[in-house]
Amino acid sequence: MANIKELRGRIRSVANIAKITRAMEMVASMKLRRVQSRALSFRPYTEELQGLLGHLAEHVGHSPDRPLFQEREIKSIGVMLFTSDRGLCGAYNANVLAGVTRLRADLKARGLGDGSLKFFVVGRKGYSWLNRRGLHVERYYADPTLEALDFATARLASRDLVEAFTSAAVDEVRIMFTAFESVVRFVPRDERFLPVTVELGDHAGGHQNGDRLKGESGYLLEPSPHEIFSRILPKYLETVIFDAMLSSLASEMASRRMAMKGATDAATRMNKELKRVYNRARQESITKELLDIVGGANAVQ
Amino acid sequence: MKTFRLRIVTPDRVVFDEAVRAVRFPGIDGSYGVLPNHAPLMTATAPGIVYITRTEGGAVEEMLISDGFAEVRSNVLTIAASAGELAYEIDVDKYRELERQAREKLAHRAELVDEEILVAEIQLRRALLGQTLGGRSRAPAPHSDAH
Repeated sequence: MANIKELRGRIRSVANIAKITRAMEMVASMKLRRVQSRALSFRPYTEELQGLLGHLAEHVGHSPDRPLFQEREIKSIGVMLFTSDRGLCGAYNANVLAGVTRLRADLKARGLGDGSLKFFVVGRKGYSWLNRRGLHVERYYADPTLEALDFATARLASRDLVEAFTSAAVDEVRIMFTAFESVVRFVPRDERFLPVTVELGDHAGGHQNGDRLKGESGYLLEPSPHEIFSRILPKYLETVIFDAMLSSLASEMASRRMAMKGATDAATRMNKELKRVYNRARQESITKELLDIVGGANAVQ
Repeated sequence: MKTFRLRIVTPDRVVFDEAVRAVRFPGIDGSYGVLPNHAPLMTATAPGIVYITRTEGGAVEEMLISDGFAEVRSNVLTIAASAGELAYEIDVDKYRELERQAREKLAHRAELVDEEILVAEIQLRRALLGQTLGGRSRAPAPHSDAH
């Protein structure tokens, strides 16, 4: 039999928890909406670049000799990792980091140790996780935070990754992020970033006028297809990174919203349960007191 | 009157998407002029000013863009730039600050490597362009009733 005063305290604290988690849920869903609208205004630019790249590919063709397309024997891997700064977002970070664990096991099987991994990290959670395991963090992008959704960060990260690849510091670059499929579905992804494996030649991209070019004649490419191509590729890579940023942040917010909704529901349920116990205890004590009084009165008579 | 569609997109937003009469934009190897039914074209653009004419003989609107790409096909000119602002949106103070920073860097030219000097010079050019454009622009005239 729990004591009444104690119960009252517990009810109050559970109610407070519910209040806090509900507020966090609302904040997360507000932020999610902001990220979604940012993603929406970003899409035309990506689509345009993808379209251009697709059209160009018809003129440039595959050129395996280009530095960013160069396949080398993989002795070291750069990993761009997207995690969150804050916790309380369900299994969001754990899911992404499971990918890292998988990659480590995979490398071990190929005879490569942790020393062959270089990490480029966004998010404090991922950073401290890697540090705890003594993994090598090449770069940690702490400021501006992911939430600022600054395109300049994507540009910087992309440049760092390209630099690491072209200077042969790493032989492959992977990005690990969370794809935002819907508000209730977010899937951790592990994709190859470099060397570039764009599906060239299959007319990738969604230019609004999907009509194919009618032969090469009449299509002016200035100064030259190759020149444009080598300029457009870095821009395209920036958009890939920014896209990963956007979908990771959206996933984080959606994941947090779900986690907080669960917590709010659980707290509400618990509150109800506690109240029931509390009322029963209160009634019992009243009954007892009454019995005492009645008993006392009877004794006096 | 013949027109064509001009779209200017940046990572932040679609800056411009309307029918126009003539456009002039900076390519990396010179300025390009585009009129309706231009031949299909693809080129890289340089940081500079885009001049937009909506109607024959009408006012010229200006816009600042940074490096990007331009493509003409099916009577649509699309410019995808990493940044772009219409003249009246320009915050002149921002560019003044940019100019100050660039000049400061260039003042210590001896300590910089070539690449940094180049970057600073480009920054300075951009800053001056931004100020010129922002300085002479007025609030947008309502253009819907004019044509």
